[in-house]
Amino acid sequence: MNATQQLQDIFAAALSIPAAQVTNELSYQSIPEWDSVSHIYLITELEAAFNISIDTEEVLEMSSVEKVKETLRKHQIAID
Amino acid sequence: MTKLYDLIAANPQLEYVDAATGQHFGVSDLTHTLDLEPQHGLAFLYLDNSIAAIEALLNFLDSPFTIALLSPKLNIAYKQQLEQLYRPCYIYDPSRTAVEGFEATVRLFKNTVQAGYSIHPDIKVLLSTSGTTGSPKFVKLSEDNLVQNALSIIDYLPIQHHDVTPLTLPVFYSYGLSVFTTNSIAGGQVVCTSRDVVQKEFWEDFNRYGYTSVAGVPYVYEMLHRIGFCKKEYASLRYMTQAGGRLSPVLAKTFGEYMAVRDKRFYIMYGQTEATARMAYLPPEALLSKAGSIGIPVKNGRFDISPDTQELVYTGPNVFGGYATGTADLQTFDHHPVLYTGDMAEKDADGYYYITGRMKRFVKLFGTRVNLDEVEAILKNTLNGGTVACIGVEDKYLLVQHLGALDSSAIKQLLSEKLQLHVSVFRIQQVDEFLLTPNGKVDYTAMQQMGLAEKV
Repeated sequence: MNATQQLQDIFAAALSIPAAQVTNELSYQSIPEWDSVSHIYLITELEAAFNISIDTEEVLEMSSVEKVKETLRKHQIAID
Repeated sequence: MTKLYDLIAANPQLEYVDAATGQHFGVSDLTHTLDLEPQHGLAFLYLDNSIAAIEALLNFLDSPFTIALLSPKLNIAYKQQLEQLYRPCYIYDPSRTAVEGFEATVRLFKNTVQAGYSIHPDIKVLLSTSGTTGSPKFVKLSEDNLVQNALSIIDYLPIQHHDVTPLTLPVFYSYGLSVFTTNSIAGGQVVCTSRDVVQKEFWEDFNRYGYTSVAGVPYVYEMLHRIGFCKKEYASLRYMTQAGGRLSPVLAKTFGEYMAVRDKRFYIMYGQTEATARMAYLPPEALLSKAGSIGIPVKNGRFDISPDTQELVYTGPNVFGGYATGTADLQTFDHHPVLYTGDMAEKDADGYYYITGRMKRFVKLFGTRVNLDEVEAILKNTLNGGTVACIGVEDKYLLVQHLGALDSSAIKQLLSEKLQLHVSVFRIQQVDEFLLTPNGKVDYTAMQQMGLAEKV
């Protein structure tokens, strides 16, 4: 499985939404499922899955699927 | 008797700030704006923490209406069920553009049909206790409950007229409502916002407005810790408060020390919706010497410990007037100022109280009470009688044990949907047999000790 697909799955599982709903435009608090609780869970899952450590500033920046992808690219994860 | 609204209107320094636009409003700008019928009836307010929601709240606090404060995020079926049961005169719900059978006024939906039942004049506010499982249950609160609790909190918190206080907790939640009432009465600027601590915009607002306090349930402190709160400096911050369940000893110490060395204060507090919000607080100077304590009773409150059961019993003017599960319950208000907390406690030689256990079977997750017997009932009904046993561990997660042949992720999904809580708070364990008491019942106390020891 490539990293992009893996990210899609982690998002869907963390927010408990269908994978098809995970689009680049999806943003924090735009749906009830993406709240602070699922956000922190998402960060923890991303750290575990990609073996990275996401720092404070990055947590605050990761406010949309697109921005999460940007952050992962900074950690040298190959995301489309 | 003084009304909450009159105390708020009498605060000359008070301004409400719309975090989104930076606009400031006086109390008079936000009242008499909704053209309410001058009658006594019921209104449902689904409140986010926006300036518009606060405007609706102030309008209704200044009216004779009894108001039920609810989450706008409740699912629509649940809202409709509640509305059919109580037939409110008005609904405020920014998440809907139409409600069947209601005509839209400026920002309200007004019922086209009279409710046809009376409400006891002492009931001012209805708050939901857990509100996601089973039949909805409201706590009935009077003007006097709200005023007395606010005044007893103002007595110990260093609230000042030049404060800038963000509404970081929902105002439909008793703790969030108490932040609103106390700062509206004795504070300065109250910043209306739905931004939370994991958003960059929240911290931009923090600097822009110069927040002087932060209020949070244990989960908020976990998030603050995760995002490195204690590695930074916040010049405007004077104090922080925590309630809504037990904060882990590590976080209590971390935040307590962070604040103390900067000459700022950290308040750990104890309460329940049935006490309007607050029953006790731990004075910051005792935070480290009395670690783990819920502190001492608030002004005009008293604790007793029942000699037979060790149950903590609270007496004070902020004790509620009973529950409501339907319209018949709205005809009465019980003026008995004694609350059986359901918590077991001890008192030390200096008069500080410590919670030692719970009599009622519930866990507080994200500041909300979840009834463990109801959770077991939900699982038994949906899993074709499969046997389960549930406990809460340190108000952090809900542990479900089952005897096998059940799919863990399916259980998590089911509970997440029914309880509207994130899947990560459920831990599922398969066991060969349940721990039982000598008379053959599930031994929850032993399970609890196992759960704590394992730290799953």
